[in-house]
Amino acid sequence: MRVMTMVLAAALFWTGSVLADPPAGYPFVGFDAGLKAARASGKPIFLYFGRYGCAWCDHTNKKTFSDAALKALYSDNYVLVYVDAESGKRLTLPSGERITEAELGVRLQAFATPLFVYMTPQGDKIMQIPGFKTVQDFRDYDRYVRGGHYKQKTLLEFLGGKS
Amino acid sequence: MRTAALLLVVLAWPAQAAWEWGAPLTVNSVQGAAIFPHLESANRRGVAVSGDSVGVVWEDNRDGSPQCYLALKPAAAAAFQPEIRLSQADCYEPVLLALDKGRFVAAWEEAGKVHARVLPGGAATQLTEAESVQVTLALRGDALYAAWAETAGRFKRIVVARLELVNDALSVSQVQPIEAAMPSDEQGWPALAVAGDGSVTVAWEDRRHKHTVPLVSHSRDGQAFSAPARLTDHKSGSVDGLGAGTGAMRPTLSAWGAQGIAAVWLDKRDFLSGYDVYAAFDPGTRRFGRNLRVQDSFGDNMAQWHAQIVGGADGRGVALWDDARDGTPDVWLADWDGEAFRDNVAVPAAAGPGAQTDPVATFDAGGNLHVVWLDRDEKTGTRIRYARAAPR
Repeated sequence: MRVMTMVLAAALFWTGSVLADPPAGYPFVGFDAGLKAARASGKPIFLYFGRYGCAWCDHTNKKTFSDAALKALYSDNYVLVYVDAESGKRLTLPSGERITEAELGVRLQAFATPLFVYMTPQGDKIMQIPGFKTVQDFRDYDRYVRGGHYKQKTLLEFLGGKS
Repeated sequence: MRTAALLLVVLAWPAQAAWEWGAPLTVNSVQGAAIFPHLESANRRGVAVSGDSVGVVWEDNRDGSPQCYLALKPAAAAAFQPEIRLSQADCYEPVLLALDKGRFVAAWEEAGKVHARVLPGGAATQLTEAESVQVTLALRGDALYAAWAETAGRFKRIVVARLELVNDALSVSQVQPIEAAMPSDEQGWPALAVAGDGSVTVAWEDRRHKHTVPLVSHSRDGQAFSAPARLTDHKSGSVDGLGAGTGAMRPTLSAWGAQGIAAVWLDKRDFLSGYDVYAAFDPGTRRFGRNLRVQDSFGDNMAQWHAQIVGGADGRGVALWDDARDGTPDVWLADWDGEAFRDNVAVPAAAGPGAQTDPVATFDAGGNLHVVWLDRDEKTGTRIRYARAAPR
């Protein structure tokens, strides 16, 4: 039992060091594993593009991702992928191109972190959302993505139609 | 009329200042929609000029896995020779350094270890036993150094090695980490330069402060290194208890002037406009001075990427990077005039429609600037392009 506890603690510690700053308790995985899991499960991908030490990422983690219901919603219905904006860790794009996690920021034309990217299970980008967002924002984005509304409407049109 | 002509001359001045460009050439002989060449490397050392020969190294997947390649061109030739493959297993981030008389040293990561080889001729040598990545090279006289990031416990740390070269055979004569203590967080992407006095400067990305900070260390003899110091003069921290600080990454160094070292890196101190290109100079005191923003006002609200500094023994300096201020990514450069970086100028053949990115550059012995970049086209594939510029 003690050995198992130590192994689990070591695994959590290691995961933390590799993934830098994802919110605690969420089942985030790396890009390649996430793309593979999404293809297998048919779930859309929620990609959190964060930065080690990023204050707004920390703020979002504490204010928004601490919500238990949001955690359940996203953990159950998405493959959660965390990418570190300054990492040299490699990933493989759906095109087959192998780049670093930092280079993904170039391709996304990332200005700031956090940046949230919703993708189809095949890895095609649906939309990307920069900056701090609330629990309700993420609930709205979820309805837009999983409801398939992105196929007919822009996010602004969808959100405008809500009220 | 005369006034208008004078005005046109004045307006056109920044675009035609400093460099006279030759016709661009394509470096890679194999292209395709599913072939992805990359020029990324530690210190962005992808092109070198040795005697009468220009060499370019890169990685691509044409053979079904990432492999590293070298293409050579006699300076007067109108085309590059067909490339040769440097690696046997998965290969990343190759660098190239000029020796003399058309000879080069290439180094790269292959199957998680660092390798090097003298070209043409020589055989590949594995430089490391531990897992090692992001190798770079620097030379002054017959003092040849390599630096890389090597696994030490849970993290990687920066290691510097003196390499011995006998004929075409390379070996490691001494190797040591910058710091004796085990790393407390990740270190990576070392940049290396040897100044005119033979001292060695290393800069790298370091996460010990829980955000990415470029640190720098010097050694008079290549053996004992100074305690790491911040390359940046901007010290950020947590905001209202949130986060740890802004990020700065991918430092590059170049020997500059008689005794100096020049540095540029990507810096997110203005966190709403993406990374900016910042520079600092060490005139020979082994302390970097105040930080200078390299991109001009037209690039202010634009993310810059893939920055590099190229220094000359005569005190000249050129910073290069890519950004999309004109709508699509182009390669930009800024000349150092001794007091400031001049207005940004697009490299003519690396600007316009499409995406031109990832510049790497070097000076040759005559002061000509050699620039290599990626010209991306999703349908026809990415070309590696090369152009030479003569100072006006």
